[in-house]
Amino acid sequence: MVHFLARRSTLRYLILRQTSKLSASMSTSQSGPQTTNIFTSQLRQLRNLSSNDSVLASGNVISHLIFSGNPTNLPKSAKVLPGYNQRSLISCGVRLFSSQAAAATEPSTSDGLTVEGILANNWTILDESENDWKSHASAIAQSIHLIKKRLQWKKLMVRLDLLSAELNKPNLWDDPVHAGKISRKHGSLMGKMKEVMAFEQELCEHIDMLKLAREENDSELESETMKALLRMRRDSKEKELEAMLSGEHDSSSCFIEVQAGAGGTESMDWASMVMQMYKSWAQRRGYRVSVVDEMPGDIAGIKRATIKVDGEYAFGYAKAEVGVHRLVRISPFDSAKRRHTSFAAVAVIPILKDVSSRVQIKESDLRIERFRAGGAGGQHVNTTESAVRIMHIPTGITATCQNERSQHQNKASAMAVLQSRVDQLEMARQAQMNAQHTESLTEISWGNQIRTYVLHPYRMVKDLRTNYEVSDPDAVLDGDLDGFILSFLSASLDKDEDQYAI
Amino acid sequence: MMKARCLLRAPYSSSPLVSSTLHRFCKPGNKFASQNHTLAFSSSVSSSSVSPISSSPSPLSSHHKPQVPLFLRPPIYSATLSDLTNFFNWGKTLASSVGSSFEQIDNGPDATLLLRELKWFLDDAVEDSSLILHLGTPQNERFLSMEVRLRAGLDQIYQLWKQRIEERRPLQYIVGCEHWRDLVLSVEEGVLIPRPETEKIVDLVEDVVGKCGVLREGLWVDLGTGSGALAVGIARVLGKSGKLIATDLSPVAVAVARYNVERYGLQGSIEVRQGSWFDPLMDLEGELAGMVSNPPYIPSKDISGLQAEVGKHEPGLALDGGVEGMDHLIYLCMRTSTMLKPGGFFAFETNGEKQCNLLAHYLENAAGSNFRDVSIVSDFAGILRFVTGYRK
Ligand SMILES: C[S@@+](CC[C@H](N)C(=O)[O-])C[C@H]1O[C@@H](n2cnc3c(N)ncnc32)[C@H](O)[C@@H]1O
Repeated sequence: MVHFLARRSTLRYLILRQTSKLSASMSTSQSGPQTTNIFTSQLRQLRNLSSNDSVLASGNVISHLIFSGNPTNLPKSAKVLPGYNQRSLISCGVRLFSSQAAAATEPSTSDGLTVEGILANNWTILDESENDWKSHASAIAQSIHLIKKRLQWKKLMVRLDLLSAELNKPNLWDDPVHAGKISRKHGSLMGKMKEVMAFEQELCEHIDMLKLAREENDSELESETMKALLRMRRDSKEKELEAMLSGEHDSSSCFIEVQAGAGGTESMDWASMVMQMYKSWAQRRGYRVSVVDEMPGDIAGIKRATIKVDGEYAFGYAKAEVGVHRLVRISPFDSAKRRHTSFAAVAVIPILKDVSSRVQIKESDLRIERFRAGGAGGQHVNTTESAVRIMHIPTGITATCQNERSQHQNKASAMAVLQSRVDQLEMARQAQMNAQHTESLTEISWGNQIRTYVLHPYRMVKDLRTNYEVSDPDAVLDGDLDGFILSFLSASLDKDEDQYAI
Repeated sequence: MMKARCLLRAPYSSSPLVSSTLHRFCKPGNKFASQNHTLAFSSSVSSSSVSPISSSPSPLSSHHKPQVPLFLRPPIYSATLSDLTNFFNWGKTLASSVGSSFEQIDNGPDATLLLRELKWFLDDAVEDSSLILHLGTPQNERFLSMEVRLRAGLDQIYQLWKQRIEERRPLQYIVGCEHWRDLVLSVEEGVLIPRPETEKIVDLVEDVVGKCGVLREGLWVDLGTGSGALAVGIARVLGKSGKLIATDLSPVAVAVARYNVERYGLQGSIEVRQGSWFDPLMDLEGELAGMVSNPPYIPSKDISGLQAEVGKHEPGLALDGGVEGMDHLIYLCMRTSTMLKPGGFFAFETNGEKQCNLLAHYLENAAGSNFRDVSIVSDFAGILRFVTGYRK
């Protein structure tokens, strides 16, 4: 933000900045009493602090004041319009003094538009290439909204208030260790809060700038601002994804397993369609895909299969797919052309990156067998089939791999699957993760349907958890899953936040 | 891993099998030497269709020029994705038509396995093998006119797959390689395709040299090296200081083994010598730290009933172990104590329980009590497969 702004025509920038600050403070002052309350309460706090002989605590607060109140990042030569400056200094100082104040003076544009307001406007989000500021702003606002959810914003504010109250206690520094802890915690939450607020502020400033540019017919400034908005949009998308995929193992690679439900060939065919959907999805995302284990159906499809999806955040995304997927169509395997409903279960297992967090598997706890071996073996037989099944005796967990071209590699692959399954079991035991994501195929109950794909009598795919719905099943089956995945992930953030809402 | 300490049985002289075998021990390999050429080239009718194209290995053997595996050939051919999809569908139909018929005739591959082989075949033949994952799926329809680069001409690809199904030519000869352990070894007609069971010998050696640094530093031999699988695998386990000699009677095997040694950059640690068993090792009596071998061990009477991929295509010299299948094994064991230095390790692969027991019994008793810790080790299918031990 700073670099970008520093490059701007500073004078213009300052006018704008001050105007926006001013109007922000004025817009709140319309609800008079509240502002006054905050203001006086801040002053009271200031007084308290200065009467407190703790240098650190008061120093902290004062540095906040100075830092946030002064446009320190601007060149010294920048001219500040007299009159505006003082008031804005006060409003900024107040704004960042405590979280309560921060919430009260939410960043807004000169005409009072806040990020919440942008969201509420529900402006259509167009493709990035469309130079439409409303679309950019709306996309950015959505990202900010998601990031706030991930940070458990409401909870964060409450905690900040509690910490501020704690910091204001006159006897706080009687226990310097405790005080240090509180002050550090406060600082770190404050940092997070300020980062988001600064982001909101930046958005508002861009919008103001754009309006100004249009009013003044300054096309150069307009295009520059538009570019800045676009840059911010990309930036915020990235931040949003980071925020959404911040689970402990989200950045890991993973295995995806699909198993056909009851119903013979029709459901085995469905299982292989589901598997193909994930292969395509993973390839679209640029992940490496390899088939680890595949049990083909007798006539068509698969009974069960495991693929490995290699790449950053594969697990974070794929975990959204865990559960039962239901298909309704006229079965090509039914000569009477009746409508069939079939099921396929999906499980996702993270491949832990941190070797030290893996369960140590003892060699002596393993039973390794050649799979489907028969006859004399050795020189008698030439087969490319070298499948291996490994069983972890203490847990009874097994893993098979037959898709590698050497037994050695099949063993290594099966061992990797086994390791991840054992790790997953251990994680489930420690309840470190959302219970559902840790479900293995055998545990997934066929009642846990997450999505329905209807090919007949009408066409649609609907997620039963989020109600996200599309009318083009072919695209979805061709791997176009991100809409479903992202809406599920952001919905789970909602759930998380609700849990903490006070 | 199952290790069974072998049980003591009656002395070998009372065992008719061992004594009868021993009577005929004199260099059994020579018996087959004359067959070598006919056997090695008997399948060359089909193999000639895949001629080495370029980047051929340096002339290592004056007798035989090894073939370059398909996956290493330059992608100088091309076809549209549509053509390739057609081939894939044709190949699938051909493979599916097999059903379980080969399995019923001689325990050969079933349709499922052949379909997997078809994918692997394309993996090797197509430059961008990520395409294969999507062959025949609807999303590829958009790209049907796209050109795909190939390592063999499309007509040749058709011909090769036909050979796989109709002549039962092993996939490994068709693609010119076998994936074995973490290696991709070059193979061709005239050389045994290394078996998954044999991988275990490398594990056994790894255990042994892990425990004993002196053995790691010492000289190892692989007798009847074939493609050089064991030699290359063990040399990599021994590490930089490893020294190993690999021998084979077959000139094709010697050439292919040298090629594989070169491909893995192990010329510095592996020397390949041609000759019958210990003949090329006369200078090394009592010097060896370790000795491994997977000699031919199939009883002669079983050769005719072998699975077509083996019986019709793999060299008899690599398979036929004489009447009881033990001619070579016994011969090798008889010389083991003179070749190994004290403390030296050996591992032999056998046909199964019967041969293991006989061999272990022989080594523990008849061989003048020269050995200690003679063990029988089973393979992953649970068949007693290997005999190992140390020279006292
Ligand atoms: C069963 S194959 C094993 C090849 C290789 N070691 C492997 O495990 O894949 C037996 C090998 O012994 C070789 N062989 C047969 N008779 C031999 C002899 N008299 N001296 C040396 N090698 C011989 C064959 O040429 C063949 O390569």
